[in-house]
Amino acid sequence: MKMIDHICIIDDDAITVFGIKKLLTSTIECNNIDAFSNGKLAIEYLSEIVANKTKLPDLIFLDLNMPIMDGWEFLEEFLKLPIADAITVNIVTSSINKEDRDKSNFYKCRTHHNITYNTKPLNKVEIEKITDIA
Amino acid sequence: MRQKIKNNDNYLIKQLPKATAYVNLNLSVAHISDSWLRDFNLSLQAIEKNSILGVFPTLTTKWKQDIDYAFLGYKNTPKTDKYFDSSTSKCWLEWTILPWYDEAENIIGAIIQIEDVTKHFLLQQKLEKLEILITVKSQIAKIGSWEYDAINDELKWSDMTKIIHEVPNDYEPNTDSALSFYKPGKNQEKISKYLDQSLKDGLHWSDKFQIITGKGKEIWVIATGKPLFEDEKFVGIIGTFQDITEDVKAQQKTKESENLLRTLIDHLPLNVFVKDLESKKILVNQSECDYLNLTSEELIGKSDFDLYDHDVAQVSRDEDLKILSTLEPMLGVETINIRKDGKQTNFLTSKIPLFNEDNDVVGLIGFSLDITQIKQKEEQLTRLINVSALQNKKLLNFAHIVSHNLRSHTANFSMLLGFLIKEKEEQEREKLLSMLIGASDNLLETIDNLNEVLEINSNPLQEKKNIHANTKIDFVKKNLHSLIKNKGAHIINNISNDVYIKGVPTYVNNILISILSNAIKFGQNKTGNKIELSADKIKGYTILVIKDNGIGIDLEKNKDKIFGMYKTFHQLEKSRGVSLYIARNQIEAMNGKFVIASKVGQGTTFKIYFNEND
Repeated sequence: MKMIDHICIIDDDAITVFGIKKLLTSTIECNNIDAFSNGKLAIEYLSEIVANKTKLPDLIFLDLNMPIMDGWEFLEEFLKLPIADAITVNIVTSSINKEDRDKSNFYKCRTHHNITYNTKPLNKVEIEKITDIA
Repeated sequence: MRQKIKNNDNYLIKQLPKATAYVNLNLSVAHISDSWLRDFNLSLQAIEKNSILGVFPTLTTKWKQDIDYAFLGYKNTPKTDKYFDSSTSKCWLEWTILPWYDEAENIIGAIIQIEDVTKHFLLQQKLEKLEILITVKSQIAKIGSWEYDAINDELKWSDMTKIIHEVPNDYEPNTDSALSFYKPGKNQEKISKYLDQSLKDGLHWSDKFQIITGKGKEIWVIATGKPLFEDEKFVGIIGTFQDITEDVKAQQKTKESENLLRTLIDHLPLNVFVKDLESKKILVNQSECDYLNLTSEELIGKSDFDLYDHDVAQVSRDEDLKILSTLEPMLGVETINIRKDGKQTNFLTSKIPLFNEDNDVVGLIGFSLDITQIKQKEEQLTRLINVSALQNKKLLNFAHIVSHNLRSHTANFSMLLGFLIKEKEEQEREKLLSMLIGASDNLLETIDNLNEVLEINSNPLQEKKNIHANTKIDFVKKNLHSLIKNKGAHIINNISNDVYIKGVPTYVNNILISILSNAIKFGQNKTGNKIELSADKIKGYTILVIKDNGIGIDLEKNKDKIFGMYKTFHQLEKSRGVSLYIARNQIEAMNGKFVIASKVGQGTTFKIYFNEND
């Protein structure tokens, strides 16, 4: 089984977080999965890691529609962080809006990070694909 | 004997009434009448010393010649010539010189008779001048004359009269033929009437007539006539003829042009006006009269200050002054006029400077097109566009909400069910099932919320009622009793007891609960948060103001989301965002609005505009 050190899930929906965790544990091995219920909490956490120069997560699952700081605002802040490594940010949204997909492409072009886009619900095949890249 | 006769002669000649002198062959004066000396202011001594020629030294030599002819026995015809008298004024003299015979028919001298004809001559000259003048004048003014001699029944036309009648120079008119030139009908009747009156009552006439000339041309004349009487007996008529065809034609043309112009400007769907340098109206068209409800006569001489609201008049006067000073026209400017009775009209106005023949500006011409209706349509359209844009935005937002919320729940179902099918372990299955039930409850709640929003937007508005503000506030406070207690909020109500708002009671309930609970929830501190309520009134709205000293919102960042469904800005329990979203739909359904002022850390002021119309 593939081993991934550290995964972050940013989603305000407890069921989604549960689902992603469940899918992940059946696909790869990971001992460190963190969940954040909005972008603000996640960016605070990541900023601290950057400041302390400790290990960053390898893979981030990002919901778009969240209170306080939504997925887009998170991305905006995340791209500003001085991170040299390419981190996989997988947008997972229930939105099937074309605008959102286009917007994700726009961010993809702006960064060295690896940004992918998936709609809910995620299935095992997609999780395998995502984890394969990371 | 001769001496005797001579003496006798001398005495006789002395008394002659006409200036007469007898001169000898040597040109010396033999006898002279006193009248000569008197008429020409001469002394006898002066004449007796000189020859006769010395009396009129400046007279032409022709008279010397006549004297010589008389000495030869010729009888001269009277002659006239000029001379200068002692005071060097020009005089005219007529002389008649005959030979002077003695009893034996021998020529012994000449008899000279003279007469000062200066006065006569000058009169003659004046008459000639006058005649020339009259001829020239009559040619220029095209005035001819005519004269009817009643005694001989003779009619005479001057040359100009013949020219006017377009008949040859040798044409000889008579009373019948002269009258036949008048255009048959009214004109002939008129001249006959004048003639009758003039013969009967001695009246003279002067009037316009149409005559038909010898060449068949129709012309306009002014004909005058004045009867002449001698010893109260009618002897004839004199009169004049003046061709005024060109004048009449020019007048007619001017009248036609004026008529055309007047008809044109009166039927233009435009207000047309001409103003003088003081912005006083000197010409207005029918539309302008109709607009101001006054007649043209009443409007002339009036300024905008007499007709419009003072401020509007001042704006118009300033425009006028600018145009009159810069000479630049003002074209197609949207203006607003307010009549004294308060009626407001939108105009599209142009004003252009008006110049006289010398190119001096003398005023301005204005055109105003009433665009009130267009303007109203435009405003309606803009309103409609705004409403539809808003509706569109709301619909889109709603579609997103529906799509997102329903999808997120169904995605969860799908995922959980996928797990459930594969799950063998009983405990895990139980867990999945309870999650499924939770997801289902969430979906139901979401659908309820969406339904509520739909109902607000799609159903006709429920009837608005007058709601006593403070009663409603007390009710809401009771409702939020536990929240207020928990957060230790201090609500200060400054709304006076006579404030009423207009609204749908259930909407007002929800709006006040949702905003007040937000204000309480987001207090800065754990306890002692202050919330002030007040009321205000502006045109068409009653405003309730809810001011807190809470944590505030970054409006710059969040302006698009503040009333979005499920948007919250603060990490607090139960801040689901849906209540504000519904509240906004409700206030908008009642034609009101929310206005928010806020700064992070400094509290939020929430103004609720309740529309006063039904």
